[in-house]
Amino acid sequence: MCCIGCRAAVEWIATLGLQDYYRLRDTPAQRALPVDDYSAWDRPQVQRLHVRRQRDGSAEACVLVEGLRCPACTWLIERALRDVPGVHDVGVNPAARRLRVVWSPDTITLSQILVRLARLGYVPHPISAEALDALGQREQRAALKRLVVAGLGMMQAMMYAVALYAGAFEGMNPSTRDFFRWIGLLVTTPVIAYSAPVFFIGAWREWRTRRLGMDTPVALAVGLVYLASIFETLRGGSQVYFDSASMFVFLLLSGRYMEMHARHRAADVVDALARLQPALAQRRAASGELETVGVHELETGDTVTIAAGSAIPADGVLLSTTCRVDEALLTGESAPRDRRCGETLVAGSIARSGPIQLRVVHIGAETVLSSIVRLAARAQQQRPRWARLGDRFAARFVAGVLVLSLATACAWLLVDPSRAFAATLAVLVVSCPCAFALSAPTALTRAMAVLARLGVLVVKPDALEKLVRANHFVFDKTGTLTHNCIELAAVTPLSNRSADACLHLAAQLEQANTHPIALAIRAATRTSSHDQASALRNVAGAGVEGEIDGHAFRLGRGSFACAIGHSSTPADDEDVVLADGSGALARFSFRETVREDAMTTIAALRRDGVGVEILSGDSASRVASLAARLGIASFRARMGPAQKLERLQALRDGGAVVAMIGDGVNDAPVLAGADVAIALGGGAQLAHSSADIVLAGDRLGALIDARALARRTLHILRQNIYWAAAYNFTLIPLAAMGWISPWLAAIGMSTSSLFVIFNALRIAAPRKASVDVAADVNLAAAIRPVPA
Amino acid sequence: MNIILVLIPISLVLLVAGVWAFFWGVNNSQFDDLQTPALMPLSDDPPPVRKSGDSAGSE
Repeated sequence: MCCIGCRAAVEWIATLGLQDYYRLRDTPAQRALPVDDYSAWDRPQVQRLHVRRQRDGSAEACVLVEGLRCPACTWLIERALRDVPGVHDVGVNPAARRLRVVWSPDTITLSQILVRLARLGYVPHPISAEALDALGQREQRAALKRLVVAGLGMMQAMMYAVALYAGAFEGMNPSTRDFFRWIGLLVTTPVIAYSAPVFFIGAWREWRTRRLGMDTPVALAVGLVYLASIFETLRGGSQVYFDSASMFVFLLLSGRYMEMHARHRAADVVDALARLQPALAQRRAASGELETVGVHELETGDTVTIAAGSAIPADGVLLSTTCRVDEALLTGESAPRDRRCGETLVAGSIARSGPIQLRVVHIGAETVLSSIVRLAARAQQQRPRWARLGDRFAARFVAGVLVLSLATACAWLLVDPSRAFAATLAVLVVSCPCAFALSAPTALTRAMAVLARLGVLVVKPDALEKLVRANHFVFDKTGTLTHNCIELAAVTPLSNRSADACLHLAAQLEQANTHPIALAIRAATRTSSHDQASALRNVAGAGVEGEIDGHAFRLGRGSFACAIGHSSTPADDEDVVLADGSGALARFSFRETVREDAMTTIAALRRDGVGVEILSGDSASRVASLAARLGIASFRARMGPAQKLERLQALRDGGAVVAMIGDGVNDAPVLAGADVAIALGGGAQLAHSSADIVLAGDRLGALIDARALARRTLHILRQNIYWAAAYNFTLIPLAAMGWISPWLAAIGMSTSSLFVIFNALRIAAPRKASVDVAADVNLAAAIRPVPA
Repeated sequence: MNIILVLIPISLVLLVAGVWAFFWGVNNSQFDDLQTPALMPLSDDPPPVRKSGDSAGSE
């Protein structure tokens, strides 16, 4: 069953005692779905993963819904479920095919809700990575088959059409002509019957919601051209248009196919997030032995062991004395953080040292990770939808054309009934909204293809328009403007030893370490250090100590390093101090590595006259120093996702069109709240589904190229629409007057479509890629010894 | 011209065969991934076998 109407029909069949219809039918795939048993969803082990209890006793779940396509489905599902007693709230996100439902478990069970959903023909799936992959695969295969059938059909139909055109000029006897027409009908029928139903179904949905969209003109044009051609073939009339019908279907399908491809390539945030959480955990049994269990089997109070480098399976309290945790994906904090015994660890973050022991506190849907997922899903639902101008115009145009052709038919029936059909057909064909319908998709498809080559994936076509209109660019800091590593910023000698000498000493002390600070120091020295240091010892969370030429040295936090000589501690916590028995020798300060093209990108944006701002979860001092380096005046530090969303909302309320560029999971809800969301795809690969545009090449500079290209695309799109309008308003009156014969109209229609397509092909990559490497990243230049 | 009465049906049969072969290919995952197989001969080592158990989170 696909809708309420079908369901009513099925119930009617059942009341008439005709259920045998279903038994006798031999195509089970077409059957109204047998409603599966969803009772497994009520089992506590499953509910713990997918259901979250709320304080007022109600429960909330998020499921993936198969067959969810458009606002009509949204409307249907919301209406059908909202009336169910016990269901408090229903939210549907058609783009991500997700349903969020809140219900009270005392009145109704989740399985009952899902059965109701399944009765409507929408199959619920638990949100898991595999479920989505299979769904995407099925969709892709079906689309590819439709495309190829349409393509082959189009080629054949065109071949026979060429024969017919040639025959029309050279003279062809009617029986041969009819033979070619019948063959044309034969090859076009599969295109209409197999490939085009997408448009018919879409048009039917639009009709049901009383909202004329792009599918209506397409379906009408295809349907009318096809039916008219059959009619002409049967009566041996003057002209058939099988080639137009199949070409139209093929071109539109190829546009949709590319759109779908881009959508699939950008990973889905919710599933990527779900993948963050490991599937298995090492649980310490009561006997003290380790056992491997599924994460969903964990209970509050369990003790789990996590090896270094593994992801943490559940929110919990650290039992080991100390641990270094990488929470970059969740908080945007750039450096791994030290956690001590008794502190909370968050599921999905990575243990950098280990093995560690953890007592589980929150599991499954209760974890911080899951709430971020929910926040992201909700923000997506609240996103405002923009109707495209061409869409609305095409809809009005179609209505106008229908009225006009009706008027033409009536007028000619009064004047000269023999010419009525030809004139009406000419109006319909010549005004076939192809040029309108194609103008936006061709330009956008072409733009997306060119952008994909530049490493820019456009997930939502609307984003291009908004990228051009955006006048305020908000950047996340960590992972977006900077890399996820640090570099040495300055060496400040505190004694009579030179900065270079101190650096050399430090490099020897850090020679065997893999800590980010050690890597930064070793990268800065360049000279290969000989193994002169001995008795090296790492002190977790403090620093390193060792002996060089018989002298003891310490490198690390100020308090740790200076403890060696009982000297006073130089201030500033963020820096690392090198000290020996006589006191502090030098202070090393670090900064984050700025992305190579961050400088040029920001400069280019400022040249365009748009506002640039940094919103970061990191500390104020780091954000400030980075903003100063990049020349950004406006920045805010220590912002959580909620505050970032608030800030974006404030900017938008102030009239700005906001583009948000981010990376990392904590940005997902924030990205969804911006007018146009852009994600860098290099590192985390996570924020993608909330993103409208993904910079897959991990190159920030692509943003500038994308903006230039988007501007050109809109320009060409506008040209296309003007052309289509000019063409139609010139030729429709002529056709209505009966001055254009249907075959001439068909040529006119093809020409106007081709014009639109070739015009779209003028969208090309910018001649010069703006990949300039900012000079300030040169490591040698970056280290400026500061006199004491 | 009567030859077209033979040639066109033959072309239609070939068309049907082509569509059938393509559908077979799509249904047998020949078109699911068009990028990776082209690169596989270039890598020296066989790709690591992914165990069903060690799925998420470890990367």
